[in-house]
Amino acid sequence: MNESGQHIARRDPAQVMRLSRLGSLHQCRLSFMRQLTRRMAREEWTFTRPAFDIDANGVGHAVYTAQGPDHAYSLVAFAHDLPPEKRSDRVIAEAWDATFTLFDGVPTAQDIERLSQNVPLQEAGRVSEHELSLSRANRSVRLWAHVVDRLAGGQQPDLDQIYDVGYLMRTTAVYGSGKFGAADREKTAGRPEFNAPFQTEMLSVYLTRTFVRDLVQHMARVKGGKNTADLDADIARWLGIGNSTGLGMAPFIVNHPILFNNWIMVREEAISRVRSLPSASDAEIAQFLNIFDRSTLSMSWWRSEHPVQIRKLAALTSDIQAISKHLDGDVLTQDAPWDRLITWAEDALSEEGQELLASLMLEPYGDLVDGLASCMADSNLNAQIIDGAMPVSEVRELILSNFEWALELDWTAEPNCARAWYVSEEKLEPRLGERFEEPIAEYEQPLAPARDAALAYKELADWDGETPIRDFLLQHPEHRHNIRRVQIGRVAPYGEIRDNTISADVMPIDMLRAKLSFFGATHFDPRSDRWVRICMYAGAPYPEELSDDTADTWVYPEPAA
Amino acid sequence: MSFSLNEIEATSKRAARGAGYTWGHAEEAGKATRWLCAQGLDGVAALASLLQQDLSRSPEMHVPCISGEGWAGTDVLCPLAAGSALSDSALVLEAAPVTLTNVTTPTLLLPFVSNVARILNKSVAITIDGAEAQTDGIALHLTGPMPDQAQSVTVRLEQVAPPTQRQHSRATPDPAAWSALTGFAHRTYAPATEESRLRGAGAGLSDND
Repeated sequence: MNESGQHIARRDPAQVMRLSRLGSLHQCRLSFMRQLTRRMAREEWTFTRPAFDIDANGVGHAVYTAQGPDHAYSLVAFAHDLPPEKRSDRVIAEAWDATFTLFDGVPTAQDIERLSQNVPLQEAGRVSEHELSLSRANRSVRLWAHVVDRLAGGQQPDLDQIYDVGYLMRTTAVYGSGKFGAADREKTAGRPEFNAPFQTEMLSVYLTRTFVRDLVQHMARVKGGKNTADLDADIARWLGIGNSTGLGMAPFIVNHPILFNNWIMVREEAISRVRSLPSASDAEIAQFLNIFDRSTLSMSWWRSEHPVQIRKLAALTSDIQAISKHLDGDVLTQDAPWDRLITWAEDALSEEGQELLASLMLEPYGDLVDGLASCMADSNLNAQIIDGAMPVSEVRELILSNFEWALELDWTAEPNCARAWYVSEEKLEPRLGERFEEPIAEYEQPLAPARDAALAYKELADWDGETPIRDFLLQHPEHRHNIRRVQIGRVAPYGEIRDNTISADVMPIDMLRAKLSFFGATHFDPRSDRWVRICMYAGAPYPEELSDDTADTWVYPEPAA
Repeated sequence: MSFSLNEIEATSKRAARGAGYTWGHAEEAGKATRWLCAQGLDGVAALASLLQQDLSRSPEMHVPCISGEGWAGTDVLCPLAAGSALSDSALVLEAAPVTLTNVTTPTLLLPFVSNVARILNKSVAITIDGAEAQTDGIALHLTGPMPDQAQSVTVRLEQVAPPTQRQHSRATPDPAAWSALTGFAHRTYAPATEESRLRGAGAGLSDND
């Protein structure tokens, strides 16, 4: 509650769940990478490198083991000598510079042998219940060559070039949760360190970053011999891991409405709690201003060649100027400072700026918001079971509450259903096609919940309100998935995107960014309307630097001294 | 081969869709097959056997009429349609048992009965001709021979909870049945074209930079 006794409610899903806003989300202290680094520091995890067996051509394997309180996890990395023409960031590639798996425990020599025959093949191989993830990465060719050449010549790499690219390798897929034979999430979800979403994947990428740093040093030494410089730790810290992400992530957030709801709702609850504070202390204000300044430095390194992102970055730059000017006034020393700030932002800033500010505002309040992280997983096992006794009238109400906007749309008009989501035979990957130009309609995946809810609503029009929905479902099994979703809406008010996911102008990158922002990704660089590159862990401490002091706000760079 | 339960669910869902079931029933098929595999039963073989019967050519023939305590269809009942109706009718079952006549591949009814147990938070028993099963939603206790097609199936509440059973985290389905499912699943994939490669997936940009 703020001073006037007012509790500021969570923002309305109708405001939050628009694609343009979801496509403007920024990382915050609840992001999955930061949850992991805080935990590993708090629990004093230890890290070892039991194997680094890589030859002068950069071929071989390495093992990095992270030991937590009860379990050890090992990244098993295979390094390859990839010809340049095979380097593709498409999921349909068949060879990579490096391939990885996260092993549950410490692998034996037999495990390594088995993995060496499967992990380099990725989708074409099989892993087992001992493995928790499967991933691969390619070099950023220009930065890799620069760093190797500089170190081999006894010099440090140029920091500006590192800021410009952000990483030495980028992953093109990090598979978890039972993919290609790996363990299901259920195997590890009960362990505290893996209860929050995507912690196995985040750990895998964290260890991958250390491997890549070691590999570049190794390759420099092969080239430069005894004159080779050791990569400076302050420079190495700005090497993140890139990720190149395509359409697979977009269906994920539609197919997991409860999980996605939990992420969004937790962030909205955190925002609501901070907005409801009656005042801010001098220390809290100072901490916020420090983080804001540091975030502007990170934003200044953000580059994109995509016209949409160029426009958004221009708006963000002027937003940052407007915020700076506004903060020069007395806004934070008044009552209800954070509510005033957010209310001001809604009129004064673009959605990029509004969401940046909402994320940054949480930083001084770890005690108030970090506990919410335990609500971000989906443990609601019964939500998928349809309540067949629910009267038709209540189903109609539920449709109205999430999809009223969609009922007025003419779903037969070409621009409103121009696209269709389908799965390609070639690589079993999700794709988005033109319904009226390609032969894909009969393969359409159910990824347009708004259209489908509108169709169900229309079909329900002639049914008596008292009738239990089971009678309708018996006659209309084609609406079964819609009714299930609509009922899930009862426990997932932020589970539905309030935009048309098959319209002629839908931008799938908005869906990708929403998901990636919760990972904690930065520097979103769309390569097309359905393809984005990002940076992970830039600024983070390496295992030997990890401590309570370094584990949290690493995402905000300290200006160079 | 050993599969994760996620792989079982994903392939089963796609297979049911590929065999002509609605998305809603395909989702049920995925969850049902996964549940059976977690009990140590070969859910994949059961689903493959059902899909090979091609009931989705005339689905309305295989749906039960659910107005009384005896449920029957025009023709043999599909366990995905009848099972969904059972799951949707949990509150009806609380009042009185339900008997279904002439159900094919009745193993696939078990996961839906477990839904009823979860909704009511009570144990539920099911008699499938000579086979008896009890479930509390999580564990399953099954005795007697499971027929390929049941003449009579009765579902009723049960006072006694089934004994705890080990849950399986992997499945090793019959290879021929798995291959049948992947064959049905394949029907849901759009044939690749150069256009879809470039346009559908995103950029045709090189990563060599």
